[in-house]
Amino acid sequence: MPPARVAADFGGLLRALRAGGVDFIVVGGVAGAAHGLARATYDLDVVYARSSSNLERLVATVGPLSPYLRGAPPGLPFRFDAATLRRGLNFTLSTSLGDLDLLGELTGGGGYEELLSDSVEAEAYGVTCRFLGLERLIAVKRAAGRPKDLEAIAELEALKEEGDRS
Amino acid sequence: MSQAPSRPGAPELEPDPVIEAYKKHVDRTLLRQNLKLTPGERLEKLAAFMRSLREVQGAARPGRR
Repeated sequence: MPPARVAADFGGLLRALRAGGVDFIVVGGVAGAAHGLARATYDLDVVYARSSSNLERLVATVGPLSPYLRGAPPGLPFRFDAATLRRGLNFTLSTSLGDLDLLGELTGGGGYEELLSDSVEAEAYGVTCRFLGLERLIAVKRAAGRPKDLEAIAELEALKEEGDRS
Repeated sequence: MSQAPSRPGAPELEPDPVIEAYKKHVDRTLLRQNLKLTPGERLEKLAAFMRSLREVQGAARPGRR
């Protein structure tokens, strides 16, 4: 039997990112949960700003959390630094606070700057963070076109309908 | 958050027949309960749910009493 997957410390990761002054928007399952989605989620997905200063803040914040490429064999010469972030775009990481996906762009959604106007601020785990808005969250999940997301999209749309009614 | 009105420029979503089919099976009771909570309360609830899920998974593993 494979080891049970452990959910990330969502609060710990969000507090660290905020304390480090990182510009980011929470997307994915945690954003869905913030809107009211009732589904298990294990990792924290964030879209981060690609400015040089934000990459430096990201490195200073996430670097101490022992980030490594999730699922990759151990011992790779992976360095979590600004040069690595500049060379890549989306990083699925394991950290000492759990799984963290750092996304430079979302399919059908663009990057941080494009998503910012469709994000909303909310307080969670003692800090104020930006979360992708419900309509945009549905749109990017639809755009990703992953069959595994169909149930979640249906729930998100039902959530929107319920919210519109109340 | 869902408590706030939609932004005027937010993308319009056309109904998708596949998603509509999935939607028939959505239990809306829990969604309605969650909509009564603040975003922070919803995320505390998620964290508590994930902790309990881990405990159940741990208890169900072989060799555990």
